[in-house]
Amino acid sequence: MASEVNTKFLQDKRLDRIATDILRPVGVDRSFLIWMSSLAMLLLVCMYAYYIQLDKGLIVTGLRDYVSWGMYISNFVFFVATSLVGMLISSVLGMMGYKWVKPIGRIAEIIAVAFSAVAGLVIVSDMGRPERLPYVLMYARIQSPILWDVTVVTTYMTLSILLYVFTMIPDMAISKNRIGHAPVWLQKTYDLLSFNFQHTPGQYKILMKSIRILLILIVPTAFAIHTVTSWLFAVTTRPGWDSTIFGPYFLTGAFVAGSAAVIILMYVVRNSYKLSRYITAEHFDKMGKLLFLVSIVYFYFNLNEYLVPAYKMKTFEAHHLKELFVGEFAFMFWSIQLSGLIIPMILLLFKPMRKPFPMLLIASVVLIASWFKRLLIVVPTMEGPFLPKQNVPDAWMVYHPTIVESAITLGTITLAVMIISVLMKLFPVIPIWEIAEEESAHPDQQPVE
Amino acid sequence: MYRFSLFSLLFLCSGWLVAQTPWETPADRKAKLSTVAFTEQGQTLGKELYQTNCKSCHGDPGKNNVIRLVPLPPDPASVQLQQNSDGSLHYKISEGRGLMPAFKNVLSAEYIWDVISYLRTYNKDYKQQLAVKPTAGGEVFDKVDLKLERDSGHSGVVVQLTGMKGALVKPIPGLEVKLFARRYFGFQVVGKPVDTNAEGMARFEIPKSLPGDSSGNVLLVAQLSDEELFGPVKAESLLAIGLPVYRPPLNEQRALWNVGQKAPIWLLIVYLSVVFIVWGFIFFILFQLRAIFKLGELK
Ligand code: HEC
Repeated sequence: MASEVNTKFLQDKRLDRIATDILRPVGVDRSFLIWMSSLAMLLLVCMYAYYIQLDKGLIVTGLRDYVSWGMYISNFVFFVATSLVGMLISSVLGMMGYKWVKPIGRIAEIIAVAFSAVAGLVIVSDMGRPERLPYVLMYARIQSPILWDVTVVTTYMTLSILLYVFTMIPDMAISKNRIGHAPVWLQKTYDLLSFNFQHTPGQYKILMKSIRILLILIVPTAFAIHTVTSWLFAVTTRPGWDSTIFGPYFLTGAFVAGSAAVIILMYVVRNSYKLSRYITAEHFDKMGKLLFLVSIVYFYFNLNEYLVPAYKMKTFEAHHLKELFVGEFAFMFWSIQLSGLIIPMILLLFKPMRKPFPMLLIASVVLIASWFKRLLIVVPTMEGPFLPKQNVPDAWMVYHPTIVESAITLGTITLAVMIISVLMKLFPVIPIWEIAEEESAHPDQQPVE
Repeated sequence: MYRFSLFSLLFLCSGWLVAQTPWETPADRKAKLSTVAFTEQGQTLGKELYQTNCKSCHGDPGKNNVIRLVPLPPDPASVQLQQNSDGSLHYKISEGRGLMPAFKNVLSAEYIWDVISYLRTYNKDYKQQLAVKPTAGGEVFDKVDLKLERDSGHSGVVVQLTGMKGALVKPIPGLEVKLFARRYFGFQVVGKPVDTNAEGMARFEIPKSLPGDSSGNVLLVAQLSDEELFGPVKAESLLAIGLPVYRPPLNEQRALWNVGQKAPIWLLIVYLSVVFIVWGFIFFILFQLRAIFKLGELK
């Protein structure tokens, strides 16, 4: 991201066209209302499930003495993982000067905001006595990775929101007078969020400096957030978690999940919002290559994570690995590795597969598999303790998620989708000013359709 | 698998063979009696012990829901079991046979008496016979008593053994006494067993190196060696007789596994400085929003 902004684009008539295109879908229309109210209805049902859990306690879930982390914590890891893509696209690729990420940067930031915000709630869903949440801080042990996790998740969420707001300030200033078709309250919000921005060089200077600081801060914070999440597991000695590469393993897995989420949203923006002029087939091709790249790195870490202990087959690791490779979890394990990693990697090597629609399908499968992958990291280890399982009813020895906890989990996902929908529909989903600046700087380069 | 089936086959056969022969108790063990009267308290404890140790095979007394083994474990309420003398029951439970496990290393002799007292509640005709009163040197006492204290003028301790009968209190000579020191886990024997002298006293030297707590306190326990005769006779005393050893409590120093207030300094510094730096930037950036707003007003 250049620190100097050439404000010439404000006089360029291309700005008008770009703003009109991008702002056309903005606003509250019928289909948006229908979509949101059905999501709200679903959320309501899931909240009822949560009410049951609040009332009766965690006994309504499948969590028991041995498996005390089940779907909830897996879901938490998934949320944290997916949110990481904001850092990858905006900070890493953006700061390295890749111009093609400009139109999709905001999509990545929306994912970061929504998923990191809901991640905190997901943790609360795992608490039998959520009203004791303040105790986490009141009786904090600074030695506990859980406290570090709380710290970095809040920090990352704050940084993501700030980045989202800051990069949108010029857009708010450009758009506030151009969204006459939108409700008045939305226009007022735009006005508020434009922070009096007049496109003066002084304001741009401050803006660009702030964005730069944010982009830099986000990189270590994002690394920290997922490394610390992995440490929640890796600092124990349990088979399957007792690993020194858990940090990078989680991190690369996060990029896979996040890239897949970005691709899905790109498809929605391109087709539902009719913005194929800005999110082109070229972007899908590039994202396909990125997904391949992060997948192969993730594959490499998987290889290390499973092959090295499998070669040694230490007693307890051996039990764990056998459960995964040929035992109770074998079907899940191989489906995830094949459909979530190996087959997508092979497919992505072929150019036709990197077209928008095939990419949508691949990304969806990858995203779903990555949700289940988190379950596979959490549950089998909990089901295989060091000491023999005894003195509990048989049903407590294995983990069977209940409908209530599945509904609550679905609720958190619904909530994230709702936040994403609101941010995508009510605010410009593609940075107008960055595209306009880019186009006026290179008037001869027209984006390919 | 093959080994296992062979093993189980042999095992089953042995059970069957053993079943043919009646289970005899040696005469001296057969005649043994409990020194203490069976009480309700003992029966309650005995019931608990029965349910954890025996019920899996012998079932609920009187319900005849025993496990199908060869030979069958008898129902406690059955005649087959109840016809045993107290001493016989004690012997069989202690020693075991075939599939009936030996409990002598699982339950103490007293615990086994408690179980027997419970088993006897299923026998209406049973009347307990107590062991004869403790005798020593031909004398019969109602009660014997041990006292443990510092040996004044000497470096060790002295144990005083007295017998009581009515108003009569007499020292008992010629019985063996053992001395133990309480350690973190279990008891450590101190010195060799000593016989009581004519005054009923047994003197023990305490090694100078016997570690005590930070003020040298050691919990000493003296016990009569012959438990059979008198039941458990014990005396305990906390004496400042050991070598003072100061062991800092494990949670005294700052450590990763300690409470929040005792977190390692390096961790506090790292954590707090990272948080302050990052959040410092965040607040700085929030102020930039104000700056942008102010600049806009100027125009
Ligand atoms: C593993 C199963 C098992 C357990 C546990 C067990 N028993 Fe037995 N018990 C047996 C069997 C089998 C016999 C028959 C042994 C024989 O006759 O060789 C038996 C016999 C006995 C007898 C002898 C009965 C007779 O025929 O004279 C007594 C008394 C007895 N058990 C008491 C107990 C008590 C008290 C406990 C618990 C502290 C206990 N058992 C626990 C299996 C068991």
